[in-house]
Amino acid sequence: MPDIFADFSPEEPVRIPLLDSFLELPVIIQIAVIFIFISSASIVFIQVRIWFTRYKGHRMQKRLAVLLPLIDNLISEHIILRNDVMNNSVHADNADLDIDAFRLREFRKKGNKQILIDRLISYRKGFSGSTGALLRRLYLELDLDKVSFKKMKRSQWNTKVRGIRELTDMDISISDVNILPLTNSKRNELRSEARNAYIKLSKNEPFKFFDISTEPLLKWDQIELFKTITTTENIALPSFARWVTYSSNKSIVSFCLKLIVHYNQIDAGPAVVKLLDNKDHVLRAEAINCLGKLKYEEVEQQLLHIYSNQPLNCQLEILKAIGRMETRHSVLFLKQEFLYSTDFDIRKNAARSLVRNAPKALIEELMASSSEDGQLILKHSMNPLIKY
Amino acid sequence: MSKSIWDYIGSFFQGGVFVYGMVMLLTYALLAVLSFIAVNRFRKKEQYTDYRKLTSSPLAPGISVIAPAFNEGVTIIQNVRSLLTLNYARYEVIIINDGSTDDTLEKLVTEFDLVPIDFAYNEKIKSKPVRRIFRSTNTAYEKLMVVDKENGKSKADASNAGINASSFDYFLCTDVDCIIEKDTLIKMIQPFMAEEGKKIQEVGEPCPECGYVHIVEDKRRVIATGATLRIANSSDIEEGVLVRMRPPKALFPRFQEMEYIRSYVLGKMGWSMINSVPNVSGGLGLFDKEIAIKAGGYDPLSFGEDMDLVTRMCAYMRDNKQKYAIRYIPSTQCWTEGPPNLKIFGRQRTRWGRGLMQIMAIHKKILFNPRYGRLGLIVFPYNFLFEFLAPIIEVLGIIYYIYIIITGQINAQNALLLLLFVYLYSVMITTIALFWDQIVNRNYKTWIEVFGLSLMAFLEPIIYHPLIVFFALKGYYNFITGRKHVWGNMQRQGFGRPKK
Repeated sequence: MPDIFADFSPEEPVRIPLLDSFLELPVIIQIAVIFIFISSASIVFIQVRIWFTRYKGHRMQKRLAVLLPLIDNLISEHIILRNDVMNNSVHADNADLDIDAFRLREFRKKGNKQILIDRLISYRKGFSGSTGALLRRLYLELDLDKVSFKKMKRSQWNTKVRGIRELTDMDISISDVNILPLTNSKRNELRSEARNAYIKLSKNEPFKFFDISTEPLLKWDQIELFKTITTTENIALPSFARWVTYSSNKSIVSFCLKLIVHYNQIDAGPAVVKLLDNKDHVLRAEAINCLGKLKYEEVEQQLLHIYSNQPLNCQLEILKAIGRMETRHSVLFLKQEFLYSTDFDIRKNAARSLVRNAPKALIEELMASSSEDGQLILKHSMNPLIKY
Repeated sequence: MSKSIWDYIGSFFQGGVFVYGMVMLLTYALLAVLSFIAVNRFRKKEQYTDYRKLTSSPLAPGISVIAPAFNEGVTIIQNVRSLLTLNYARYEVIIINDGSTDDTLEKLVTEFDLVPIDFAYNEKIKSKPVRRIFRSTNTAYEKLMVVDKENGKSKADASNAGINASSFDYFLCTDVDCIIEKDTLIKMIQPFMAEEGKKIQEVGEPCPECGYVHIVEDKRRVIATGATLRIANSSDIEEGVLVRMRPPKALFPRFQEMEYIRSYVLGKMGWSMINSVPNVSGGLGLFDKEIAIKAGGYDPLSFGEDMDLVTRMCAYMRDNKQKYAIRYIPSTQCWTEGPPNLKIFGRQRTRWGRGLMQIMAIHKKILFNPRYGRLGLIVFPYNFLFEFLAPIIEVLGIIYYIYIIITGQINAQNALLLLLFVYLYSVMITTIALFWDQIVNRNYKTWIEVFGLSLMAFLEPIIYHPLIVFFALKGYYNFITGRKHVWGNMQRQGFGRPKK
């Protein structure tokens, strides 16, 4: 038997020429050499990764090109182009639905199932009535809701959001136990999505989360929520004055003021008036704005009374509110502000409200007696081409 | 053998440059990591944000789009039409005709049915006198306003006039010949709205006086946002809309495209993560008008007016003890025409170099000043050490290199290894930036286009970078000697037109 250790002597260390010359280099150069290898490897790796990512995208496109026409054909044939559904002669729950036609081998794969879900949602958004209901039934009978619920249970916030979004789009109710805690999640994106879902899906008390929200309703979320509230059909609208009075969450109060204006809830006036004593001048300005848009005339005198103690943003809102109310009771006040204020914005807003409230003769008189600047502000305010 | 004083200086210089270089490389590595987090976060949010749904919201704040124009007669109509078709509910487009000597104004008046109006113009920021203000009698163009003013010899002066005439609380500053993506306004206003009142804490029981639980708010006011700009020199543009994005074919725009990707997607996104964005590009930036006015608006005498404004806005917030943030989004929202040749490119970079030195000189009190927080301890030191000093140190390094080569003090093997290390590291950083860009922007149709662009990273240190260093130093020299700068037209060739 050959002795493989014949030439090995424990006294003589093994020599690897390249490693030896590397170890002889100064430390700085050693670091540089290591980084040369790291950089080279990274450049190659990233290029391969870019190629692979794009290749994956390309493959996805190819897959979509095959699957989408297939799904479209199935949906057209079994749902959209059905005479009984088209003329609403049958209820979606009672209509015959050939589920097996959709249980194709292609849709067993996770990725393809997702394509099917996305396509169904896309169709559901485009169809209401019986067709929409039948699409929803198809989603349920194919057990695709389970896929979405599974996503909702995952730990990653973005997967949760996706699950909630799918269920909301397909109008699948989510129990309060599952969704309500998420409406107060620390993760803003998840919180926002859960709130939107709650508004859409809760049949009895869609605004219940307003009571429990301690996390702020960001301005951006307000836009999304406003869109959801104002576009959801058959939503049970409460009196938003309730939260204006009792909510300790300032952003909820601020949002409710916008909803009060949108739904013209004049009954909320007294609750909004109470906000005029609030210490937060931004909220106060929003309350004044709300009162003006509601044309809540009862508060006009109070607005005039508090005017001189307010910061500029509230003063401007008071001037606008008086203009919107169009009671003509405060023309003298507006005239004074227009003539004697030193602030350009106050003069401009006073002029605008004057144009809306004052008799033509007074405007002409002001035009004749004002300085050149004043005349320009009045002309500006009267010009229909200037909107803002 | 005893060492001379020059040997000591040489050793000190070598050691200093080594530490300097290492810190710079580590900063780039840190930016790469931070930008990756930021880009991924943005991508995740993008997956489920339907911006189209939100563009019509009455709750979205109004935005004034301000676009100065000087002798843009050839392309002005197409450019204004493009700006008028942005997807947003409440916005106005303000074109400032900065004393054009061509037919820019006449074309605007005819095309958009403009008439002069009595407009109460309030000069909150100084600018050259405004001659007339026009509005359209055609309701289709009711968003449009044209401000005709005397030439102020700078974009800054024209922008200031636009800010004075604007109606809304936010203004988007852009160049009239930039192509802006349709969803730009909603995407750029998002950081303003998503950050307000983010941290909020309840404290104690409801107040018996007002009924509220008094809350402690950690309000951070977003004062500006920026987005990625790209070079569109070889792209297909039809009617002011970019229909097919291609990497520029010409050498200089191609280098710039690569540089922009690195600067925006890696650099600015990384800085945005730690709220230390040094600058919001003059080509596309959305600003909080109140703060911009309080900071004094754009400085017409500045050669880097965009960076100067951002610096003053940040300093204003710090001086008034208000928390602020500047945010960037990585998605490409604006396409611009890059300088097509060395002459125009050199002029642009010389001005930037001069502007940087001017900013360093004007705002020197901010540098290393803890009173200015991140601005004084991160943003300005970075700009000073790695933007301003870099060209100087590089040139000194090259001179020293030549000296030690001549005097035979160099270890050729080690020197080459160090050079290779720096070279490959820089290529790696650019390649990473391109990868991050691919995560969030799929602007190029084919992989070959991406690969072709990434090859420029290998040429950059040899061709492009030395030129940047040269023009930056020229800018410093012009600033020091007070050489008169002539504001030149960029001599754009125009999008969507056959090149001459």
